[in-house]
Amino acid sequence: MNFQLTEEQRLIEQSAHDFAKEYLDPVVEQLDHTGDFPKAIIKELANHDFLGLHLPADVGGAGAGFVSYVAVIESLSRSCAAVASIMNNQAMVSYAIQHWGTEAQKKQYVQALVKGETIGAFAIYEHGPTPGIGPDALAATKRDGGYVLKGTKAYVRNAGEAGVYVAFAITDSAEPNALTAFVVDAKATGLKVGPKLNTMGLRGCPVAHVTFDNVSVPETAVLGAVKSGREIATRVLTLASVAEAAQTVGIGQAALEHAALYAKQRVQFGKPVATLQAVQTLLAEAATDCYLARLGLRSAAQLIEDAKPFETEAAIVKSFLARLGSKILVDTCQVEGGMGYSEAMPLPRLFRDIAGTTLLDAPADFPDYAIAASIA
Amino acid sequence: MPGIFVFSEDSALAKQLLTPALELKQQLSQPVTAVTTSEADAKELAALGADKVVVLQSTSGWTEGLSEAICGLVSGTGATIFLLGGTLRGKHVAAYVAAKLNSGMSTDAKSLKIEGGKLLSTRLLYAGLALCEEELTLPAVVTIPPRTFLPPNAAAKAGVIETVKAEADGRVTISDVTPHGGTGVDIAGVTKLVAVGRGLRKQEDLKLAEDLATALHAEIACSRPVAEDEHWLPIERYVGISGHTVKPELYLAVGISGQVQHMVGARESKVIAAVNNDEHAPIFEAADYGIVGDLYEVLPLLAAAVRKNGGR
Amino acid sequence: MPKCLVCYKWTLDEKDIKIKPEDLSLDTSRAKGKISDFDRNAIEEATRIVEQHGGTVHALTYGTSAVSESLKDVLSRGPETIYWISDNSAETADACVTANVLAAAVRKLESYDLILCGEGSSDLFNQQTAARLAALLGLPCITYVEKLSVEGDTVRATRKLADCTEVATVKGPVVLSVLGTINKPRIPSLKQVLGAAKKPKKEIKIADLGLNAEQLHPKSIHKTVKGFVAKRKTIIYREANAAANVGKLTSSLAAEGLL
Repeated sequence: MNFQLTEEQRLIEQSAHDFAKEYLDPVVEQLDHTGDFPKAIIKELANHDFLGLHLPADVGGAGAGFVSYVAVIESLSRSCAAVASIMNNQAMVSYAIQHWGTEAQKKQYVQALVKGETIGAFAIYEHGPTPGIGPDALAATKRDGGYVLKGTKAYVRNAGEAGVYVAFAITDSAEPNALTAFVVDAKATGLKVGPKLNTMGLRGCPVAHVTFDNVSVPETAVLGAVKSGREIATRVLTLASVAEAAQTVGIGQAALEHAALYAKQRVQFGKPVATLQAVQTLLAEAATDCYLARLGLRSAAQLIEDAKPFETEAAIVKSFLARLGSKILVDTCQVEGGMGYSEAMPLPRLFRDIAGTTLLDAPADFPDYAIAASIA
Repeated sequence: MPGIFVFSEDSALAKQLLTPALELKQQLSQPVTAVTTSEADAKELAALGADKVVVLQSTSGWTEGLSEAICGLVSGTGATIFLLGGTLRGKHVAAYVAAKLNSGMSTDAKSLKIEGGKLLSTRLLYAGLALCEEELTLPAVVTIPPRTFLPPNAAAKAGVIETVKAEADGRVTISDVTPHGGTGVDIAGVTKLVAVGRGLRKQEDLKLAEDLATALHAEIACSRPVAEDEHWLPIERYVGISGHTVKPELYLAVGISGQVQHMVGARESKVIAAVNNDEHAPIFEAADYGIVGDLYEVLPLLAAAVRKNGGR
Repeated sequence: MPKCLVCYKWTLDEKDIKIKPEDLSLDTSRAKGKISDFDRNAIEEATRIVEQHGGTVHALTYGTSAVSESLKDVLSRGPETIYWISDNSAETADACVTANVLAAAVRKLESYDLILCGEGSSDLFNQQTAARLAALLGLPCITYVEKLSVEGDTVRATRKLADCTEVATVKGPVVLSVLGTINKPRIPSLKQVLGAAKKPKKEIKIADLGLNAEQLHPKSIHKTVKGFVAKRKTIIYREANAAANVGKLTSSLAAEGLL
């Protein structure tokens, strides 16, 4: 049992770290202010093989495993979690098409996604309580050798910038749980991306609702088998949640390091505040949470890499971080006090960003349900 | 008889080397031979106490190309210690000779002495993080940075001068020698410096620092990025680990964060003061006095206050 | 099609080294290894030359057992083969021993057109290896290079010295040391990282280099090493009012006799 990264994984993590220092640190504040999509950075991610990290060499990928993937997501998130979000959502789409796509779909999209020539968006959520239920649920009606999609997908990340969407729709209103996945080109007639949402954090990763106004797609747009969409969505979202855990840890680690540095330098009553027990406790707890969460998520990542069952472990990691992710930021902000509260410091942005990684994709109680179900 | 040798292609530095050389002469009872390529320098070195001065005459003006010739001269007579001026050229020659003599070499020694039949020098390690005492068996080669020592006083009796023809390394051709430009100011020889860093937003803002420098009767210096990246000031003004080391009475760092690579060049200053708007800037731990504030606001006020104080 | 050899050192990252407050000794226990900064520039430069002109880049290193951590790191940055010498003698080796070992290794390997080093290692910064190697191998030496180009068998190097730059030209094999400003080392892409596993890593045993005990015996040792700690007054004025701070600083400077 080896808890350390392999040499390759360490070097990949080092490249991601160097990349983040070189390309992300200089623009992260600006990106947070404007929320503009960082096209140039995405190109550089592609140039350094990050977008195809998890895909095989024959499609232009680097063929690295999931442990490397989460190490990269964490490293990038330490500098700019918004870019990590873009990358993760991109990977969700390229993974889905690579795994369940036909040769034609793979040929059309995978290489372009790996090269960063096309951005991908994963359209699963809706305004209704769960996909398939609600007045605006995305429905696909069979017609003339294809389907017509009608409905709205909500909170789609990378929307607007995406050239391709993987969208989940119900094909049979009698079976709202049976979703079908479709690969839809962004230029399809009737596909309308709503205005970009002004999100609390992870700004730079665009989020918008996407309306499908009678969008016609051919039969060949179905991804995987008809009505097997839920299986696809579940798997992709669970993988993505482990990656999001890495984002949470990355942001938490950045906050911890900043607060620790602050505590060493800030002198009150003649001593650095790092000598105060209250501060030491806050820093120690944050360090504990980051360390343990990282161990947990890398262990889950190893299970994924070894193609072993991982859903329970992924839920455990998600649950742990849902409870503690924001605590890390609350506590590190406490360490920095009034100084840290200023937007000129990074902590407020990290606070807003970390909320995005723990709130989205799965409500906090869902993992507990899954964990309990696997035990009892 | 084995001896102590000194060499620098830099006139001033060559003379400075005589001071530790003459000290070693006392400790080792061995003569001091100065090697030079300049007849003018030879006369002065002889007058300052070198027992012998050897002038190497060569058709080439390239110092490094004389490494083999210098080596032959030094090893022929037998060197116990060879002191070279720690310019980049000097270090090149020194390492070459050290290899040929199969001897150890101490680079950028801040001090040296003989102890227990060995040479003890001090130098910096880990980008200025630590100071090390290096012990070398004799014979040993040492390079000494400019201005580590003052030149000695004139000797009672001048040494002898002899001229030797030297063969330069013909394999390397030198061309396009281009001076760096700049005003020829030597910031290492100045008593007060106002150093500017990345806190300055644009080149025109140098005026603020210049005005303050004038009020203080100081010269302007800078951190690496200002000279090497922005090119707002010539590199002759850059203080840092690969720039100049300075020891002024006052080093006033403005908009400089105070990273080790920079402070290594300034930390022997008598008084260090800093102005920076980042309360956490490391420079505040390495300064005697400081102001946390916006340099754009502070500098004009400070210049006015200094003037009001009379300035000296 | 120049054949390049880059000599590099695997050093402790000085950023991770801490000074123990009790006795100012250095705590290196948490220091990670890294390719010495300017050696990274040397590797990058050789890689660029070969990308432009064809040829090969090999790497050579002499260190303790820690060097095994460096091999894939270096191979991910351009060199196609790495030669490594791992020996306990490296723990106390000075520049003299290092040069003896590297020179002996070079004599065993093929003949190279360019042998590159960084101007000095990021840990000890002795700035001696290149010139020592050249002396031992009988090759010309060009140090402190900030720009390098190759035209056929001619090497043209721009050197940056304190007061000037100069161009040094030489035909045939040459030893060079490069400055950190010569280039910006690339961040290895993931494919380069993963490709490093397939490249040959060849160990050279120090016993096979034919060096005697004297050549492996250091002529200089570090007798003591103490952390440098600034002892400054650290009187920092942080009033909200800039004029108040300026007043205080001016008084302080006057009290120091500086005005």
